[in-house]
Amino acid sequence: MSKKNEDIDSEFCHIPMGDGTYRDSDQKDKITRMVILGPGCSISSKELFNFLHLLELPINIRLTCYGANLNGEPDYVMEAVNRVRELDPTHIFIKFRGFPPGDPRRCRAKRGGAREGFHQIEAEYKLLPEVSYALEHPKHVELTQPKKIPVDEFTEIVKEIESKK
Amino acid sequence: MKVAIFPPNSMILADMIVRSGHEPLVVQNQMKQKVTSPDLDAPPFNMTEDDPISGLKYAAIEVPSGVRGRMSLFGPIIEEAEAAIIMNEAPYGFGCVGCARSSELTVFSLRRKDIPVLELDYPTSRDDTVEMVYKINTFLDNLDNDGEDESND
Repeated sequence: MSKKNEDIDSEFCHIPMGDGTYRDSDQKDKITRMVILGPGCSISSKELFNFLHLLELPINIRLTCYGANLNGEPDYVMEAVNRVRELDPTHIFIKFRGFPPGDPRRCRAKRGGAREGFHQIEAEYKLLPEVSYALEHPKHVELTQPKKIPVDEFTEIVKEIESKK
Repeated sequence: MKVAIFPPNSMILADMIVRSGHEPLVVQNQMKQKVTSPDLDAPPFNMTEDDPISGLKYAAIEVPSGVRGRMSLFGPIIEEAEAAIIMNEAPYGFGCVGCARSSELTVFSLRRKDIPVLELDYPTSRDDTVEMVYKINTFLDNLDNDGEDESND
């Protein structure tokens, strides 16, 4: 099948879902972001969920154990993401996601077991307390390692210090 | 500025880049193109016959098609990258990229490009993690300054 945009019939084209059903390609211009509440966050996922609903933006919101998934038009999703970040900037993290929420190809409700990406969130979650601490106390550090000095220079310094004793 | 990250699906690295006002190049965006565009070849078939062919740009024909298929996902990231943050020795769970050879090839391609690269080791202690965040922030702030210097010239 041709992959050129002009050859694709956007009105009637469907995506095979793997379980014999087809889904309309309404996701083509939409994006998905995951809002992840880090350890020590000042709000709970339920409060986050209520906050997102009260924004009254035309996006899909899915409450999860770690936060929420947002899906919709890029402008609205990014507006919601920016508003959510303001709630607790150092403890709320945003992750990109390719599959839309509830997609039967990846949703744990259909395939059994956690999504692959969930294991990664688990692994990264362990680092989040320290990341939040570092974001609260920002500091600039030297990126280049200090150069090693030549042996001659080093012996001179040793001699100089010994002569002072 | 577009910043490539490795592991290419890391939440922490991508989030830090967004916070600094840059654009992270993540593999999820590439996946989105594949799983949401209407096509007969759209997944559940994870790879189409075109993917190993486009991966030929990075790996020879003898290389397994799995590596070449993955390189077709990482390829646009490498092409677009204007800077890169690479985390070495990251555990399997930190970025679920299940092929060591494609990872090596991606890191090699990023290093070979003439772009600023920050290489970090996966933090094993609290102090290391804090230091890692400081290093990433300093690197990203320096990218801003470099860009301004060039525009002033």
